[in-house]
Amino acid sequence: MITGKPILNTSNLMLQVIYGLILGVALQFYFFGWGVIYQITLALITGIAAEIIFLKIRKKSIDVIKDNSAALTAILLAISIPSIAPWWIVVLGTSFAIIFGKQLYGGLGSNPLNPAMLGYAFLLISFPLEMTRWTSSFLSFGEGLNVIFSSINIDALSSATRLEEAKFALMEGEVFNPIQIDQTVWINLGFLFGGVYLFYKKVITWQIPLSFLAGIIVMSALLMLVDSDHAMGPVFHLFHGATMLGAFFILTDPVSSSTTPRGRLIFGFLIGILVIIIRTYGSYPDGVAFAVLLLNIAVPLIDYYSKPKVFGR
Amino acid sequence: MSKHDFRGGVLIENPYPLNQLSVVEVPPPKKAIYLLKQREGASAKPKVKVGQKVKVGQVIAVSNNDYCVPMHSSISGVVSAIDDQPIAHSSGLKVPSISIESDGKDDWISLKGCGEEVDKCTPDEIIEKIRNAGIVGMGGAGFPAHVKIKGAQGAKTIIINATECDPATLCDDALMRKYPEEIIKGIEVLMYACQSQKAIIAVEEDKVDAIIKLNQTIKNKNICVEAVPIKYSTGAEKLLIKLLLDKVIPTGSFASSSGVLCQNIATVKAIYDAVVIGKPLVSRIVTVNGSALKNPSNYEVRIGSSFSDIVKKSKPSANPHEIRVGGMMMGVDVPDKNYSICKITSSIIVDEIKIKQKESACIRCSKCNEVCPINLLPQQLFWFCKSDNTKKASSYDLQDCIECGCCSYVCPSHIPLVEYFQYGKALVKKELREQELAAKSRERYEFKEFRLDRIKQERDKMMAEKKAALKAKMAKEKDNKAKIAEALKRVNDKKK
Repeated sequence: MITGKPILNTSNLMLQVIYGLILGVALQFYFFGWGVIYQITLALITGIAAEIIFLKIRKKSIDVIKDNSAALTAILLAISIPSIAPWWIVVLGTSFAIIFGKQLYGGLGSNPLNPAMLGYAFLLISFPLEMTRWTSSFLSFGEGLNVIFSSINIDALSSATRLEEAKFALMEGEVFNPIQIDQTVWINLGFLFGGVYLFYKKVITWQIPLSFLAGIIVMSALLMLVDSDHAMGPVFHLFHGATMLGAFFILTDPVSSSTTPRGRLIFGFLIGILVIIIRTYGSYPDGVAFAVLLLNIAVPLIDYYSKPKVFGR
Repeated sequence: MSKHDFRGGVLIENPYPLNQLSVVEVPPPKKAIYLLKQREGASAKPKVKVGQKVKVGQVIAVSNNDYCVPMHSSISGVVSAIDDQPIAHSSGLKVPSISIESDGKDDWISLKGCGEEVDKCTPDEIIEKIRNAGIVGMGGAGFPAHVKIKGAQGAKTIIINATECDPATLCDDALMRKYPEEIIKGIEVLMYACQSQKAIIAVEEDKVDAIIKLNQTIKNKNICVEAVPIKYSTGAEKLLIKLLLDKVIPTGSFASSSGVLCQNIATVKAIYDAVVIGKPLVSRIVTVNGSALKNPSNYEVRIGSSFSDIVKKSKPSANPHEIRVGGMMMGVDVPDKNYSICKITSSIIVDEIKIKQKESACIRCSKCNEVCPINLLPQQLFWFCKSDNTKKASSYDLQDCIECGCCSYVCPSHIPLVEYFQYGKALVKKELREQELAAKSRERYEFKEFRLDRIKQERDKMMAEKKAALKAKMAKEKDNKAKIAEALKRVNDKKK
């Protein structure tokens, strides 16, 4: 039962999701510095410009921009890519996300795939080098500008992510402590907090995040049992990579996710399983984007077979 | 308080609380217009002529159709016109009507009821009395009360629906506070007519005065008042039954098949009037409410009175208004106030003109499914209805939609979902009708083919027979000729 009108309109709903991201983004800024802010700014400008241009081409009212969905896609993509990636990466990715991920399908509500993840997958496949160079140190205002806008050698700055480190360590048979509180764990906790906020504000339902996290736990625990050489365990997976960002902000994109209560459970759970498989055996460090896109394709099927029981039938 | 519940629903506060709770009695109007088609189906035929004098309570239109109850004059005066008038619906559809000009006397026909001792009449006589009094479901559906009662003979439980349901409508509340004795007596009449053992009056829990008044009046231990949550769409019959009795009435069957009769509380009061006093249904309580009114109130008015006369009493502002009939949730918008009160007019909402929220794209957030009491997927139905995909819409149980409007209410994209569903349903109906027509014409065509074929066969057969007969005849003639020739030859031979 819903009391009154908790959410006034779609643009407000999108805005709430952006509010939910604030803590995680603040933590990213705290650890990685100004690069984060530049990426978000670039993405916002590109995303909104691309949306306006395509709305004009499609002869639609540009009032649609007020629904904040382009802004949300831009921010989600910007915080998913490395903060030291060159400027054209985020510009290309955001334009691709908005144009090919959304506008060409008919705009908000008609896109079968998660636009931000489509943009991310496009970038990762096309520019694997730029997309896998992360930093673990704070970049000052000037350093950030330098790194993103001039082609200086950034090898000195970049480092592997914890996911890659773990994978490498396990491959080499080194000792790897999965329960170590580092930057990624804090950022994941930040997004978890934002997710709880979204739940409290009734922007998202519990089905997708919980089933996704359950999928992650079940699959990683299972791999621990059968293939302990490659497995990193549930605790590690829950707080590394894009787990929490994915659980509460990416999988929950209502347009491209399953729309029935039972379907959402299936959708989240299967993504969780796929993410662990890709992380463990795939050649990319994280698998949220690919897993989400794969299940986006399966949504019509899931929805069809998960129709709720109608009263009186 | 009920232990059970149904899924979904929304909690909506009344946006326009009334500042005066008593019922204002409105004197008979100078002119009344009676619409003879009260619901889908047949319309009653006028029994009076223009210029004829009528009294209050006199039958002015009847029908042979059992689903169409008679109409009575609610004022005394002269029939001034019999013509078509618009019904209170955005379609502007016109239906046959009778207009009567008052003589200012309020002269009634002589009333003859059963009196307080109802058991002197048989249940059948009571049902006949209910039919003759022109009583229909006064909650909004307008289904003939006697048909429902006849179908629910032996129903174990009678549910009296006083949940109002619509947040801005308070006519049931007013009725319960004004006529508790009549209501309880009416329920006893109904229980007697159906031979039921139990009656539950479902009242929203915030109608405290009404609950107290009813409880003080009830002497019969088989009648009880049940406070139900103030959740919107509780007033829908099948949901109310689920809430009170935890019974699910399957799609396509009626409550009566599960031994339950559900009647609106205003209908029960009308039944009391009809059976005990012998008074036909000529008046009802209407809530007049809305942001444009200085003095929103409940009015007891004669059927056929005009909207504008009653709205005037609530002191509307001078600005242009938005008018809605039948509740803020399930009602319909009408262009102006030039309509007359029907038996089913529960409320008139008069609002200042609001800026309509623009419809934006559906983002499949499924808030609509969360609140749908029927557990449909409005977000999916919306696509199917929008693209005229009736087959798909039907497979997602479009027909089960009760049009309560919870989905439209919570939609963050302000999509008027129910309007899409009404459109979809109409489309399904049209297709069914076309299919029926096509089937019928195919049948006709096939029969014609069959008939032509049969005629041809018969003709062929006849021709063949004729031919055969002719042939036989010719053969016979030939035979005869041969015989004659032979005989002649024989004669000639003998001659030689």
